[in-house]
Parts: sequence; C-alpha cells; structure tokens
Amino acid sequence: MKYVILIHANPDPWGHPTSIYTPEGRALPQEQHEEMDRQFEALLTEISAAGELVTAEALADPASATLYAWSADGALATEGPYAEAKEHLAGFFLIDCASRERAEEIAAQFAGPGSAVELRPAMWPGGDDQ
Amino acid sequence: MTTAGLEQVWRRCAPDVLAALVRGYGDFDAAEDAVQEALLAAARQWPVDGLPDNPRGWLIRVASRRLIDQWRSEQARAGREQVVAQRVAADALVAPAADATNDGARDDSLTLLFLCCHPALTRPSQVALTLRAVAGLSTGQIARAFLVPETTMAQRISRAKSRLRQVGARFSPPAAAELPDRLVVVAHALYLVFTEGHTSTTGTALYDVVLADEAIRLTRQLYERLPRSGEVAGLLALMLLTDARRAARSRPDGSLVPLAEQDRTMWDRTRIREGITLVERALPTGPVGPFQLQAAIAAVHAEAGRAEDTDWTQIETLYRMLRDLGPNPVVTLNHAVAVAMVDGPNAGLAILDPLLLDRQMGRHHRLHAVRGHLLEMDGRVEDARSAYAIAARLATSIPEQRYLNTKSAPRQLVRPAAVPVPEDQLS
Repeated sequence: MKYVILIHANPDPWGHPTSIYTPEGRALPQEQHEEMDRQFEALLTEISAAGELVTAEALADPASATLYAWSADGALATEGPYAEAKEHLAGFFLIDCASRERAEEIAAQFAGPGSAVELRPAMWPGGDDQ
Repeated sequence: MTTAGLEQVWRRCAPDVLAALVRGYGDFDAAEDAVQEALLAAARQWPVDGLPDNPRGWLIRVASRRLIDQWRSEQARAGREQVVAQRVAADALVAPAADATNDGARDDSLTLLFLCCHPALTRPSQVALTLRAVAGLSTGQIARAFLVPETTMAQRISRAKSRLRQVGARFSPPAAAELPDRLVVVAHALYLVFTEGHTSTTGTALYDVVLADEAIRLTRQLYERLPRSGEVAGLLALMLLTDARRAARSRPDGSLVPLAEQDRTMWDRTRIREGITLVERALPTGPVGPFQLQAAIAAVHAEAGRAEDTDWTQIETLYRMLRDLGPNPVVTLNHAVAVAMVDGPNAGLAILDPLLLDRQMGRHHRLHAVRGHLLEMDGRVEDARSAYAIAARLATSIPEQRYLNTKSAPRQLVRPAAVPVPEDQLS
C-alpha cells in the first residue's frame, strides 16, 4: 500500500531541513537538533533498506513556483506561491508498506519542530468486484 | 520456440536450479543472486541461440560460474590468499537430477517456498522473494507488478535475504510439528500474490506477467505436493473460483461490475468446475479452515445461474462459521450482507452498527458501502446516498471510488437495488 508523507512548513528563510529554519526549531538547543538528525537518518536508512521508501524530494522555495489556472483561452500562468497558504509543501516522501498501521508508525517519526506532517493513502488502479 | 515459451522454460527451472546451488554451495543469498543472473543470461541468449539441450543444466552451469566468480572477486577484495572453496563442480550439480520432475526436485521447490515465506519476514518481503526465487521472475517484473521502482523492489528482496541469514533460516523442510503454522504463512503470502499484483495496463513490456496466474501456478504446485491439506485445496479453489470471474469483473473502460450484475455467461466454467470439485473433496476431510470456507462461499455464488438464485441461507451459515473461526471485521461485513439477504436489511444493519464505533473500521470504505447497499434495500434512499458518499471518500481504489460516486449520485437510486456481495479479503 502506497502512502505519501507530506511535510508542510514555513521555514524562514526557506531551507532544508526545515527544522533549522522554523521559529520552533530555532528555539531548540544544538544537541537536540543533532539527536533529531541522528534519529531521522536512522529512520531513512531503515525504510530504504527495507524497500519501503519509494522516493522523496525536498522542494524549492514556493516563491519559485509557477501556478497555472485553466481558462477558456488556455492556461494562465502566474508567478509565486499560493498567497492564501500559511504553510507550504516543503517536501514529500512516497512509501510503500504492508499496512496502514506501519505507514502511521513511519509518518509519526517525520514530525519536526514547526512542520505539519500529513499522511495520505495513494489511490491505486485496481479493484475487486465487491 | 517463442520468447514467451522460452521464458516459461527458464522460469520453471528456476527453483530447481536454485535448490541445486544451495545444496552444493550452501549460501542461499549469493546463490539466489547467481540464479537471477543466470535467468537474465537465458533471457539474452536463448532467444538468439535457441533452447539449450538441457536448459536446467545450462542454468546451473551459468549460475555456478557466476557464484564462483563472485566469491573470487570478494576474496580478492579482502586480500586473502585462500583458495576459493569450490566444494562442488557445477557438473556434479547437473548430473544427479537432470529429470526435473523427480520427487527430490519437487520437494526442493516446496522447501524453497517455505524458506521464502519464512515467518520472520514481512509479508511484502515474503511475496517479493517467493516471486523471484520460486516463480523465477526478474526484479523488474515484480517491481512493475507492484508499481514500485526496481530499486525499491531490489532493496526489499535483499533485506529479506539478509533477514533470513540473521535468523539462521536453513534450506530444509520445516519440522512436522511446525508444518501447519508454516503452511498458513505460505498460504497467506500466495493469496497476497493473487490479490495484490496489478496487471500492467499501460506498458506492454515483453515479460510482464499476470500475478493471479502465477499465484494459481504456485498454489497448484503446493497442492500437488500436499494434496491432503484441506487449506491448500481451499486456497487453490478460492483462487480458481475468484479468477473464473475475471472477464466479467470489469467493463472495457475499466469500471467495476458488481457480482450481482455480472454477465455469468462470461464466467470461466472450467475453473469453476475445478474449484468446486476441490472444495467438495476438501470440506468433509478434516478441520475446516478459512480458505475452505471462503472457497465454499465462492462456490455457492458460482452455482447460481442468476444472482437471484443465490442460496443465501447457505452463504449465511458459511459466514457464521468463518466468523466463529476468528472474529474479523471484514468477515462481519460480509456476514451482515448475507443476514440481510436472508432476514431483511435491518437485521444486517444491526450487525454493522458496532463496527461504526471501531476506529479502523469506521475509516474503511467497505463498511459504508455495505451500509449504503443495505439502506438502499430498505428503501432509505437519502441515508443510502450519504453512506455511499462517505464510502467513496474513503475508497483508495480508483475504479471502486468511481463506482461508489455513481451510487451516491441521486439518479442512480431510482432503479431497484442490485445486491452487491463484498468479496472478503482476509489477510
């Protein structure tokens, strides 16, 4: 079963890992950052060795985004992020694991200071005849 | 011989070849890699050079050479002066069992199946390793069937093998006392191969396989080895009876056709006959397990010429037996449908109510889909529509979501209810 883990954050300035650029992250002592980094590295090593991590990307500053709106005359492009969004998509991980429980166990470990983690099941093309 | 025909040959040889190497050299992990390379070599060379006289011997020789080369290079890296432990000459492995159909060879593939479905492995790992080592599929083929990149699948397989090494798993048949439990694990892994693989609809890659067919092939082999295991017979029957409906299950546009609306003339009668025979033979012989009961339910459906002829009383009894074997919310759902068909929708709805409070089940689309159908049967159109809408939101299968969205649309509820029968997905 595939799930995406979406990391929403508002680092300022924009940067990765977001935890060192968010106000909540900056408030933490260096040792705690180092400990969190170690844990996160261990998690990534574990899920990639297990064949659970499919892919992951850190995303560039939302200011570099281009938005396209459909219109009858064709797509209309505008520069920059969604103005109404407080937190932006900072990165995502695609995982494929045995159960929802396992996905929840993995996703919980992505929580970091100043970011919101969202676990979403991916749709799949198969189905049965109920 | 066509390329597809050649592929059948090398894939059928794969478990024997692997067993011969493991027996000769002892190292399952390295032997499995070497066999995979030999299979890839066969894929390159056989279509050009033709089928070798002794395909199995050809594969053993190539795989042995790879294995020894790999050891040599590892030892060179380690800077050791040791002579490569070439305990057995490749030809010695080829000689004793050139007849691939002898009992020893078949026991070997069974031992291999037990090893690949070792209880220390996660289910996705068991499935991946079984498909590679026993079914002889390439990592790429398995990756495509599960819609993940090849590197992800390769990691899963290599982790599975290192886990086997860690727990000290051996290439030997399980002890008699362990056999029943180990068989349950194997059966579940094979069932997962049957239900979880996806037939590629976009690519037409030369070697893409239908995993349902692979699952049936492997289960058939298992059944031939253990014909007295009622659950293996039940599993094979369940697969055959479910697969018999494959052609009727979806429309050309990919949308789902519920069991009650399927064109039953499209069902595969040969598979149905075989499945029914298997269940009828297995049921009276001994302890009745969940696969036999599910197969029996599928058989009752298969025996009804029209949906309205379905013997729901019998299905209700079978679901009750299944529930008594081990309570499981998915079984309860199916039982509720059967109860509704026998005693009316409200009796079914009463069974569903407690499930709404369960955190996991409350988020499961199937609970709300079944509620929708029972409410619809009871003529509560608006309630049914909202239940379908919840189900559609929770569904993660694209065709199922599309189906549920149609059911939640107002105009769909004007015509009489077609009664759905949820397939139980015990896993």
